[in-house]
Amino acid sequence: MTLFIDLTLNGLTYGLIYAAVALGLVLIWRATRVINFAQGALATLTTYVAATLLDRSLNYWVAFAVALAAGLIFGALTERVFMRPLYGKPELNPVVVTIGLLILVESVAGAIWGSTDRGLTPAFSQLGLTVGHTYLDFSSFDIFILVSVLVLMGLMLVLFRWTSLGLKMRASAFAPEVARLLGVRVGRLLTVGWALATFAGALAGVLVAPLLLLSPNMMDPVLVYGFAAAVLGGLDSPVGALVGGVLTGLGISYIGGYLGSSMETVGAAVLLVVVLSIRPEGLFAAAKARRV
Amino acid sequence: MLEVSGLSVSYGPVAALSEVSFKAEEGSITAVLGANGAGKTTLLRALTGLAPVKSGSARWASNELIGRRTEELVRLGVAHVPEGRGVVTELTVEENLRLGALWRKRQPDFRQLIERTYDLFPPLAERRSRPAATLSGGERQMLVIARALVARPQLLLLDEPSLGLAPLVTLELMRTVKELSRRDGLTLLLVEQNATSALSIADAAVVLSIGRVVITGDPKTLAADDQLRHSYLGF
Repeated sequence: MTLFIDLTLNGLTYGLIYAAVALGLVLIWRATRVINFAQGALATLTTYVAATLLDRSLNYWVAFAVALAAGLIFGALTERVFMRPLYGKPELNPVVVTIGLLILVESVAGAIWGSTDRGLTPAFSQLGLTVGHTYLDFSSFDIFILVSVLVLMGLMLVLFRWTSLGLKMRASAFAPEVARLLGVRVGRLLTVGWALATFAGALAGVLVAPLLLLSPNMMDPVLVYGFAAAVLGGLDSPVGALVGGVLTGLGISYIGGYLGSSMETVGAAVLLVVVLSIRPEGLFAAAKARRV
Repeated sequence: MLEVSGLSVSYGPVAALSEVSFKAEEGSITAVLGANGAGKTTLLRALTGLAPVKSGSARWASNELIGRRTEELVRLGVAHVPEGRGVVTELTVEENLRLGALWRKRQPDFRQLIERTYDLFPPLAERRSRPAATLSGGERQMLVIARALVARPQLLLLDEPSLGLAPLVTLELMRTVKELSRRDGLTLLLVEQNATSALSIADAAVVLSIGRVVITGDPKTLAADDQLRHSYLGF
């Protein structure tokens, strides 16, 4: 029973990290129909920024805030510099560019910070908590992970549902031409969308680094699972990203815990195949409403 | 007044509009007619920066429309209701309407404007918080026109509003359009395949054929001229 509880809590923790990555992928996919393979690499970069600041013994929260702000800036720059010239070109072009960017960013990170693994100081203790007389494999830092991703999701929800900016962003994503005819500066909002997406990735990066170890390709497996989570959720829906992330996290955790950690990757792939053969459009896709 | 002169559009080597010129009086309804592929939709798209204009000009009030970015035009009082899929189906009815007002930085009378729109189109009021995807064809057409009105235009470009609508619904729609133009002094450019219904409410007509203006004139004379009707309008 304790094992089950541990695996569940662990799965939730990782699941919410995957959800943050998935959210970033979804935001970009639904606005520009591009899968941003560089999402993970950019998050690694922002995490190195945080690590560098922490090495200079700056306050954790300063480093945290700077990493997230760097995410906003890197995302906006990526859209402006690399993606902007590709709109209206063959769909493969942005895919190739984001993969190229992934390789480039990881190499640059390796060149600057070296490719050996290093730790990242967490905000809170990573020692397991004891509830009553039971020791749980669940720490204060894990709670921080849960809370911060949920806060991120909540903020995004408020932004998209209840603000004019969010309404404009949704309109630009779903019907760019109509949006432009109504005076929405669609180009600018795409930049904002990429900035927010990379912001979500940057959060995932600083949260996951203390769990894994920080290295230039730290985010590669996280991106793969985040991508699985996004696809599971339907690629189009932020709520889908959250649910997909949690399901992926839990699934991998149970598979790893009960079948052995060597089964994790295979298990995740099987899970994805099974779900997608039952619901090819993902769990939360608006595909039906879209075809009019 | 809208004054279009010498407007040419081409998609690569294919000329879609050649030297199109006409005038539309302020507060009037001008029907733009012609067969499929005559360039009617291209004309509207050229006016709002969505089609590649090769040469020519289009002056509205004291502004040149050609060469501007699409998202600027609403700020000059021009609203364009594109053909067919103008409704953002993923948004609710009210969110669609809100989109129309977003371009203005401050909107003190926004609520009032929306309510007035609901008065004009009661079926929309009943469905305000539903996704626009659940609307019927006629309701969608109401919604896109209502949304354009929320933007408070002086020049309204309507592309095939009757497309896919039942005859009675079309009749109702045309009546509303006429009333709007009279009440708000809107200048309307009404592109229609359905020439009969468009001519019934228009003050002037422009007939296009393969990208050229072949007739401009009074809708009543046009409707009465059998030969013209047969050759260009197909009825």
